[in-house]
Amino acid sequence: MISNTKCECGHQNHIGTVLCEACGKPLIELPDDGQMPAEMRYDGVARRSQKANPSWIDRIWNFFSSVKVAVWLIILTLIGASLGTIYPQEDTFINLDDPAAYYKQNYGNFGVIYHALGLSRTYQSWWFIGLLVMIGTSLVICSLDRVLPLYRALAKQQVRKHLQFLTRQQVVYAGAVPGDQNTWLDGFAKQLKKKRYRIWRDGDALLAEKNRFSRWGPYINHIGLIIFLLAVLGRGIPAWHMDQYISIDDGQTVPIPGTNFFVKNEKFTVEYYTDAELPPTLKGSVRPKMFNTKATLYQCTAACDDPTRDPVLERVKTHDIQVNHPLAYKGLKLYQYDFSEQLRLISVSPVIVNKKTGEQFGPFKLPMRNPALTYQVGPYTLELKDKFMDFGLDEQGRPMTKSRDPNAPAFVFLIKGPDLSAGGEPYIYFPKQNDKVKFGQDVLNRAVADKLDIRVNAMKDVSFSEYTTFLNVRVDKAMPFIWTGAAIFMIGVVIGFYWQHRRIWLRFDGGTLTLGAHTNKNNFGLRNEVAAALNRTGIDVPAKSLDNRRKTH
Amino acid sequence: MNHLLDFSGGALIAALLIYSLSFVFFAIAVGGKKWSNREPAEHGRRWGWIAFGAALAGTAAHVTFFVTRWIAGGHIPTSNMYEFMTMLAMAVMLAFIVIYLIYRNILLGAFTLPLAVILIAYASVFPSEIQPLIPSLNSIWLRVHVTTAALGEAFFAVGFAAALVQLLRVVDFTRTDKAGRKARRWTEYTLVVIIIVIGFLVSVFSFRAAGYEADFQQTVVKTVNGQEQTYVQKVKYGLPPFVKPHNSETVSVKPFLGMEKPLFEAPSWMNGVNAGRKLNTIIWSLLSGLILYGILRLVARKQLGAVISPHLSDIDPEDLDEISYRAIAIGYPIFTLGALIFAMIWAQIAWSRFWGWDPKEVWALITWLFYTAYLHLRLSRGWQGSKSAWLAVIGFLVVLFTLIGVNLVIAGLHSYAGVS
Ligand code: HEM
Repeated sequence: MISNTKCECGHQNHIGTVLCEACGKPLIELPDDGQMPAEMRYDGVARRSQKANPSWIDRIWNFFSSVKVAVWLIILTLIGASLGTIYPQEDTFINLDDPAAYYKQNYGNFGVIYHALGLSRTYQSWWFIGLLVMIGTSLVICSLDRVLPLYRALAKQQVRKHLQFLTRQQVVYAGAVPGDQNTWLDGFAKQLKKKRYRIWRDGDALLAEKNRFSRWGPYINHIGLIIFLLAVLGRGIPAWHMDQYISIDDGQTVPIPGTNFFVKNEKFTVEYYTDAELPPTLKGSVRPKMFNTKATLYQCTAACDDPTRDPVLERVKTHDIQVNHPLAYKGLKLYQYDFSEQLRLISVSPVIVNKKTGEQFGPFKLPMRNPALTYQVGPYTLELKDKFMDFGLDEQGRPMTKSRDPNAPAFVFLIKGPDLSAGGEPYIYFPKQNDKVKFGQDVLNRAVADKLDIRVNAMKDVSFSEYTTFLNVRVDKAMPFIWTGAAIFMIGVVIGFYWQHRRIWLRFDGGTLTLGAHTNKNNFGLRNEVAAALNRTGIDVPAKSLDNRRKTH
Repeated sequence: MNHLLDFSGGALIAALLIYSLSFVFFAIAVGGKKWSNREPAEHGRRWGWIAFGAALAGTAAHVTFFVTRWIAGGHIPTSNMYEFMTMLAMAVMLAFIVIYLIYRNILLGAFTLPLAVILIAYASVFPSEIQPLIPSLNSIWLRVHVTTAALGEAFFAVGFAAALVQLLRVVDFTRTDKAGRKARRWTEYTLVVIIIVIGFLVSVFSFRAAGYEADFQQTVVKTVNGQEQTYVQKVKYGLPPFVKPHNSETVSVKPFLGMEKPLFEAPSWMNGVNAGRKLNTIIWSLLSGLILYGILRLVARKQLGAVISPHLSDIDPEDLDEISYRAIAIGYPIFTLGALIFAMIWAQIAWSRFWGWDPKEVWALITWLFYTAYLHLRLSRGWQGSKSAWLAVIGFLVVLFTLIGVNLVIAGLHSYAGVS
């Protein structure tokens, strides 16, 4: 539509230029009466997306660089995101075996439709992620499309502008000046300098500018967003991401799968609010105040995967893990997730009683986890042959363990000593009294049970865990990039919103002053600044009368 | 401690009264210009300063409330709906003070102060006792997140107030063509919505003052692990029941104007006893709001917009447009920082993930995307003026839905205790 891009001042402009890059004369006549304030975005400079004969690459480029498209993408994302909040998302349930049935049962026909449309997994859906990727693409392309033209427009500014350029700004003044023209100009420049404007002069034309850097705000914030979005995508890389749950009894040390770290739960404590601390309506209710896992993190230095040997552990950190206070070590984070109240043995210190003589030997310390393979107790030698943490019998009646948690521990020793056969005799020991009765320890041990007994004499010889703590172990290598992106975004918006780029141009034509001023934001502030400078140099105009937009109605 | 709490409560009532006074002064500043034998500009300036002084005093009382409650409770008062809404009202006043100092616009005062009053009144619907924190809420980041987000939202609220003035200002009540009528109708609807909110507050507080109560119970049979279990759920209404919860029995109903039992039952898709109570509250709000509106219309004998509009004539719509936009532009970075970035930091520390698509999080994101769209639309010609004012109004509705609606309609991790 535009063929002649050469301006009357002699400057050859790019296709798509709205205002001459040099003098600012409007190159495209607007359909209205030409009194509207000028299109000042990028000072009317052309962009790549404004080519005359676009190829298909150009068309994609144009699509993604359009702000209109960006707004649509943002609106669609917004609507899509809101759909996902109508019913709970599938991943908010710990284990949902049959999602379709769940939605049908709880939300009826709407639930069926909701699930069938995939809205129960909105935020993982291809179209939602697709929208985010398109916003990302658009961010990259629109920034590339505009940043150079903007740089060009701001780097080489001509001081003397076309008269029409001035009279079509948002803030305009035209009239005579009091006294000598040059003296007035010096005085006016001085006023603007006081307001931290930078001044350029070209004969009797002047350009005053401040806060140019604020124009880079949007580009900085878009870069922040791009980094943020890339980091979000990066979380999909398996090696960058780990998320698992471990449960640890008091005093227990467990390996953290996939790492060479071990973590020990020294002691878990939970504190509840006392009635005195609760308001009347909540008295008598159970309200937790604090959960705390005193945890020690170990690094394994040798024999880490060797089942026949104990791993060699080196303490790296001890920390009180609480909700809101995770243990953090080199990108590995341990969060307090949950706990359960469950009595479990940690260790017992029993004695061996010779039933014939009544003599007692010991005590010896028998931990549930990692017991020694042999114990020498008085005249007796105990060799550990087998152990079952959660004793039970399988279908054929053979002993087996139901789980790895010490719910019903049992130890099978080969015992040698007085009155026993030289090769030793097997003996099964249940540290818990009720297991001993339940599984019939004495029956199982037959004759040996008449010769000796292994028993705990007092409560002080038993140590047990009251709680099992559940920790969430996380590695998220993308996090630094997430925070960097967010920080850059914030810097960008602050620069862009809390400072405004202001420019004032003026020229004299036959003794008459014409002044035009522009800002990308805060016209009110600019108007007042110009009016104040004019007033101090002897031109008395109310700030409001400078506003060019007002004259259009 | 309890003395301090009483004092704190007193300070809030003082703030509420002073805000109301300040509103009256602003209204005099705006409306009194046309009174005889007055210099309009001088009148506006003088009453504007008096009103702004009152607003400052009210804010001081409000801050006193906040600080003393903080000391008495031992934690920053932002942890339930009552505390959050009163804090939001305080943030709105702080944002108002900032914008007022930049633009010195009395109309802004006349529209923002009622907003603060309504927010405090709304807060008072909720139980005001101090509740102890559960561990996940006991985090410095949570406090920073909630307060910063509220401040950002407060600037959006001021942007909304300015946009509303702008819309009332530009609506032309002499126009009778289609576009003109449409603009008038929508402006009037906005006023009706505000009056419905007032109707809600008036009915809740009137019946609370009268000690009104109605009780219902619902018996629910649930199958848990193959076993049938029976629960009895009770609910107490503070407003006379037009509608009772679905499938419920009436325990007791105080008669009101001869109404001794509910007129009908909530539909079956409204599960639970609280859904019935909420529906009843909505019916009451609509009814009392519409009656209130009807009375105002009868007194005024014309659309309310037509009553207000003439008083706004000496400010340029372009200035209002800029005030509204500036408030939003100032609020946007604060909102981003508070509602998204600090929220992500807190979520990372407390829940071990910075983002979890929890409904409250999603709605904070939606609010942010909405204002992002607003900012980008304003980059193009033709989207300044009334169109962008409407966006500022809708944006604030999105903010309110995020703050209140999500808790009422959708429950999530963030749901506050005692939400009605
Ligand atoms: C969620 C995504 C986005 C956010 C949060 C965002 C944020 C912003 C902000 C805060 C501004 C400054 C506005 C102002 O100064 O009034 C801005 C400006 C801008 N944005 Fe975005 N933006 C997003 C996406 C996009 C996309 C996809 C495009 C692609 C076309 C785009 C194009 C622009 C342009 C052209 C500007 C004006 C730049 C200038 O004034 O020089 N934005 N953006």
